[in-house]
Amino acid sequence: MREIDIAEARPRSRTAGLAAAARLVRGARLSPLEVVALVIFAVILFLALFGPRIAPYPTETANPLLRLLAPSRAHLLGTDVNGMDIWSRLLAAPRTDVFIAVVATGLSVLVGAPLGVIAGYFEGNRRRLSSLVGEGIMRLLDVIQAFPVFIFAMVLVAIRGANVVNIVAAVAFVNMPVFLRLVRGEVLQLRDQPFAEAARVVGNSDLQIGFKHLLPNALPPLVVQISVTVGFAILLTAGLSFVGAGIAPPTPELGNMISEGAKFMITGQWWPSLFPGIALGIIVFTFGVVGETVGRLLQPGGRAARERGGDLNVGAQQAVADMVQEKRGVS
Amino acid sequence: MQIGLYALRRLLLLVPQLLLISIVTFILIRMLPGDPARLQLGPLAPKAGVEELRRQLKLDQPIPIQYIAYLERLIHGDFGHSWVNQSNVSSDLALRVPATLELIGYGLLVVLLVHIPLAIITAARGGGIVTRLLKRLTFGYGLLAGALPDFWLGLLLIFIFFVRLHWTPGPEGRLGVAVTPPTHITGFYTIDALLTGNFNAFRSAAAHLVLPVVTLSFVYGAPIYKMARSTMTAALRSDYTTYAEGLGLPRWRVLWYAWRNASPPVVVMFGVISGYLLGGAVLIETVFDLNGIGQYAVQAITTSDYAPIQAFVLVAAVFTVLVYLVVDLIHYGIDPRVRRTRKA
Repeated sequence: MREIDIAEARPRSRTAGLAAAARLVRGARLSPLEVVALVIFAVILFLALFGPRIAPYPTETANPLLRLLAPSRAHLLGTDVNGMDIWSRLLAAPRTDVFIAVVATGLSVLVGAPLGVIAGYFEGNRRRLSSLVGEGIMRLLDVIQAFPVFIFAMVLVAIRGANVVNIVAAVAFVNMPVFLRLVRGEVLQLRDQPFAEAARVVGNSDLQIGFKHLLPNALPPLVVQISVTVGFAILLTAGLSFVGAGIAPPTPELGNMISEGAKFMITGQWWPSLFPGIALGIIVFTFGVVGETVGRLLQPGGRAARERGGDLNVGAQQAVADMVQEKRGVS
Repeated sequence: MQIGLYALRRLLLLVPQLLLISIVTFILIRMLPGDPARLQLGPLAPKAGVEELRRQLKLDQPIPIQYIAYLERLIHGDFGHSWVNQSNVSSDLALRVPATLELIGYGLLVVLLVHIPLAIITAARGGGIVTRLLKRLTFGYGLLAGALPDFWLGLLLIFIFFVRLHWTPGPEGRLGVAVTPPTHITGFYTIDALLTGNFNAFRSAAAHLVLPVVTLSFVYGAPIYKMARSTMTAALRSDYTTYAEGLGLPRWRVLWYAWRNASPPVVVMFGVISGYLLGGAVLIETVFDLNGIGQYAVQAITTSDYAPIQAFVLVAAVFTVLVYLVVDLIHYGIDPRVRRTRKA
């Protein structure tokens, strides 16, 4: 009896799962462009994980006999100056670029967002010391941001040597101010909202309000910015490699692939540079669209706001409800 | 009057900012690997010679003294000496800063004359067939342009317009091989050539600028275009626009009111982009071999050449801070709300 139940339940639950997924997709109201972007996004993640394994040819072994072959059936996108198959290297390259950009951006957020909360929450605080901390962070930021991003990253990489760890650190460092400023700006607006005052009234400390109540409300713009920054970080990494201050060949990386093919573009062999550039464009573009989609869905009421005719600040209401709950528990 | 006071206060703030910038640069540069004296003399030079040079360069002194010596020289307009090129950094800069500014200047001019009007047209509702077609095209452009690497686009343009079509000169620098540079007045080849009536040089300089300028404005105009379109769309949906339309004001006048409200974020975006480009144009400079300041800095970094990097970072930081100042002043002029808060 039970066995039959399970046997019956399984397909039912599977279709139920599918239906739920379909409902979710419908509820999200994805545009065709967003659907395409999400699919490509999945492909990029897949390549970042398994790319080097599914490459049909070795990705780091030179073969002088196959130098600069035009695209053909054996080599779909041709071969590069070292006789390596470009299609294979293209499958393997996203791992390097996406990994560096994602880890670096993650670091930027981890450092930038908390500092942004502190800077924003304490700016103009009645207590002198707190206000000074906020002010100090911002003035320091002015100095960091006066440096030209690209050169700054290059100098940082040059100091420690060009390897993955140092490139990640440099890219993370130059992108950190973006998140600090963004979160600070959001917190400056949010801290005067009724729910923030309510949080104070029920006895939260400054830091609790900042991190537990204000930061989560700054999430939607933060997510959009993260995806934009990942895209920028990918371009930055590729740019560093292009001028020889990033990932060096033979490691497959889109920037150094373009760089290696650059001089052949002028002599007429267009394929070594063309395809990695297209790949870069697609990756950056996809991250941008996916970020905007997720940001829209995260926006309180973003899924249904249109027909309700306005965006109710669900997040803020939730925060107030949480606090009331908390207060009840305490008293 | 008020704006003068505001500008003065901002200029005073510049001094400590620049000092801090120079300190940070100095420390960063000193952390670069390689002994500069050894680099200059080569691996086979005798140890005594290297020591002597270290003394000359004050590299044997503690870091604070090195810094003060550096600052003193800076005040006298001495940016130091490049030990790789064996040249004076100030004269290198005089040659290379205009190359970069020429590229950025024309690039942003294109953005101003093409992207901004396009943004205003495509933000407006309705329109004829041409406008609708433009909307389609620019929608794709807005999505795509920010994602394309500038150095790759430059290569692609070279391949299409130089290798295949022979319409433009190749990536050989700012002038053709056989063309002598015009007399140095401003350092901008196009302007100098016009001033001296050297039309041959002008044609060559202009032709060599076409592809880099197109690359730059295509890639870096995208965020400005997107910002302008979205703020303009919001402004055109506002109540005051409906009101202005209801009053029966002419179309251009309605657009003008909306644009004035939409422009402040665009001005800020312009500032951010031009500040970024002084160093960020390095990839375009490299691809087209324009010998700009960014390319100069990259060469200096790869050879551990301290003086040019320091000079570059300082020049770039000054430029960035000045651009932000100009942006804030324009903002101050456009947006009356800023005036009110700044006074308080």
